[in-house]
Amino acid sequence: MTTNRMRDLGQVAVPGALIGASAGLAAGGLALIVGQSVGWAVATGVALGLPLALLGGGFSVLLGMGIVTPGVFAPAGLYWFVGFPVARLVHEALAGLLIVGQPALPPDVLGFLAYQAMVSLGFAIGFSWLHERFAPGWLRRIRQGNPAAERLYAFYLRHAEAQWQAKENRRRNRGAGQGLGRLIRPRTGGRA
Amino acid sequence: MDAANTPAPHPQGGGTTAPPSTTTSTKVAGEERVWRAGKLEPMPIRELPDAPPSIHLLGPTVFLVALGVGMGEAYMWPRLVLVFGPEIRWLFLIGVTLQAFVMLEMARYAMATGESIFFGAARVFKPLMWFFFGVAILVYIWPGHLSTGAAAFEEVSGVPWVVTACIGLIVVGILFSLASVIYPLLESLLGILIGVLVVGTSVAASLVGQWSDVTSTLGGMFQFGYFPEEAMSAAWFPVLVGAIAFAGPSGMQQMWYTLHLRDSGAGMGAHIPKIRGLRSAGQQEEMPSRGFMFDTDNPAEMRKWKGWRKWVTFDAILLFWGITMLVTISFTVLAQTAARESPGVADLIRDGDREVALTAMADAFASAGAPVLRGIFLGFIALIGLNATLGLFDSFSRGQADMTYHFVRGAKRFSMSKLYAGFLWGVITFGILILLFGPADGPGAILDVLAFLSTFAMGTYCVVLLLVNNRMLPKPIRPGILPNLVIGFGAVFYLGMLVYSLVRFGVVVG
Repeated sequence: MTTNRMRDLGQVAVPGALIGASAGLAAGGLALIVGQSVGWAVATGVALGLPLALLGGGFSVLLGMGIVTPGVFAPAGLYWFVGFPVARLVHEALAGLLIVGQPALPPDVLGFLAYQAMVSLGFAIGFSWLHERFAPGWLRRIRQGNPAAERLYAFYLRHAEAQWQAKENRRRNRGAGQGLGRLIRPRTGGRA
Repeated sequence: MDAANTPAPHPQGGGTTAPPSTTTSTKVAGEERVWRAGKLEPMPIRELPDAPPSIHLLGPTVFLVALGVGMGEAYMWPRLVLVFGPEIRWLFLIGVTLQAFVMLEMARYAMATGESIFFGAARVFKPLMWFFFGVAILVYIWPGHLSTGAAAFEEVSGVPWVVTACIGLIVVGILFSLASVIYPLLESLLGILIGVLVVGTSVAASLVGQWSDVTSTLGGMFQFGYFPEEAMSAAWFPVLVGAIAFAGPSGMQQMWYTLHLRDSGAGMGAHIPKIRGLRSAGQQEEMPSRGFMFDTDNPAEMRKWKGWRKWVTFDAILLFWGITMLVTISFTVLAQTAARESPGVADLIRDGDREVALTAMADAFASAGAPVLRGIFLGFIALIGLNATLGLFDSFSRGQADMTYHFVRGAKRFSMSKLYAGFLWGVITFGILILLFGPADGPGAILDVLAFLSTFAMGTYCVVLLLVNNRMLPKPIRPGILPNLVIGFGAVFYLGMLVYSLVRFGVVVG
């Protein structure tokens, strides 16, 4: 992969990476608010935010490469079904390393992973939800000279144009009085 | 569609006589084909737009999720789990599944006609609609959700809840008044808030929960018939009735959903203009005096209809049912963690009133190994309060404006935007007065009033839904036997519990 291609995909990765990072950092931020030590909060934020940011960015890259279709939930669900438990496992190990200088794994790793996989579906819905909100705006900014962003943006644009066109048609119809019906009541014994 | 909906054999004839049924379709002389439903104006036949592609991930369900993922999911059910164990959650499963069916059936009428369910009720029997007009005022002028959210915010920040609640009310009013077109603003705002809520609760649950918590939570959902003796007491049965009503969107929120469907252009709602904010009320297009119907005899139109049904079913199952379940499972996992760490919390809740229980749960979360949980819990309660307020105030104003515009004589000289703004600022003003000079016992009492009337409205709207969908729609798009049975069960379920609670304990809901 060329440097340019990597730079392009790196730019495309930003929305997913930011959502992932903010999810991790939120836990650290809340810890600070309720009086945890700065070290503990930073360790939690970094240890969870880093893997989630990498995975979130990875998902955006899959979209940019055309491997995953935007707006469809199943790929996001599957991606995080695997990715989220991995991120939490990395978090547990990394947090241990940062706080006590020694990586620590949960006692029942399989049970832990199974539990995280279940929770991941909720995370996947929230991630997709936010990604659909933020990605088009960001892609519009970076699409010049970035083919991956341009292609993904074009996908969103086609959808938006179709919606806009449909809206305009409806508005025209209403403006012409067709939408309002111009109804004349029957003269005979109907029930209108 | 009934045979009468086919083109008239003599297009220039002297008119047609409608068969003596409640609902018919016919071609009016020299004019256009219409669908007659009830005694109100018939609906002209128009083309059904194409259903959106799958990319349209965020539908108007965002409102139902915002309204549905409320106090029931975050507070009432986790509290019940702490007292009765996760087995009590089978009642929640029934409540939310019932609501998903109600959502699909509400959508059926709204998408087929572009009319709200209030209009549908008026087609069946106008006083039914006025009943909901009155109930909406009685229930939703109380700023219960916002004040409970503000109370939680006070726990975190120390800012008095009355101050936060009053500021919140004014901010909501200004926001909706300044918005050019209200629906897109609200969808964006709630979309982000819910996204944050869902991601946040998932991360919080993943940090503190255990596999056993999820299995017991999920297992509890299938313990049909589990009903401990204590739950049958005067202290707890009314609470259970209220909690079941609060599972998913409670009260009239499902009815308002039909207005959001219409404003988002779903189905025949595409033929109805969007409501504008007060600032651009002058640009408000004229509202038609009734909805429209599509040609159900046309196979191409029926294919599009099936596309719309698929779209709304996706919304109902994945977004509404799925998110509501996930959020409530996450909160239940948090509650179980708290109970494991602080076994005395159940007794605290038994002894305390609502506010004490809220604090007790937050403290229990804090004692569950990480004080961060207290902040997370209270922060989410505050966020849910804000979510619900945004959705409720908009929905209330939308519903009342819709009924006023169409059914109050002379109201049409005001635009829909102005009526919307009138109801919005009316409810805000009342809310501020209540918060400043109203019931001194705080947000809990306000929520109690809301819970009783909500449950009653829900039983009633199930009956209305059956009447509207089975009598006012063309036969090919009427509900099948299963949805009818489920909605019928809903009516018996809500009203039956209410009456039983009243007769047996002399209390309606808690």
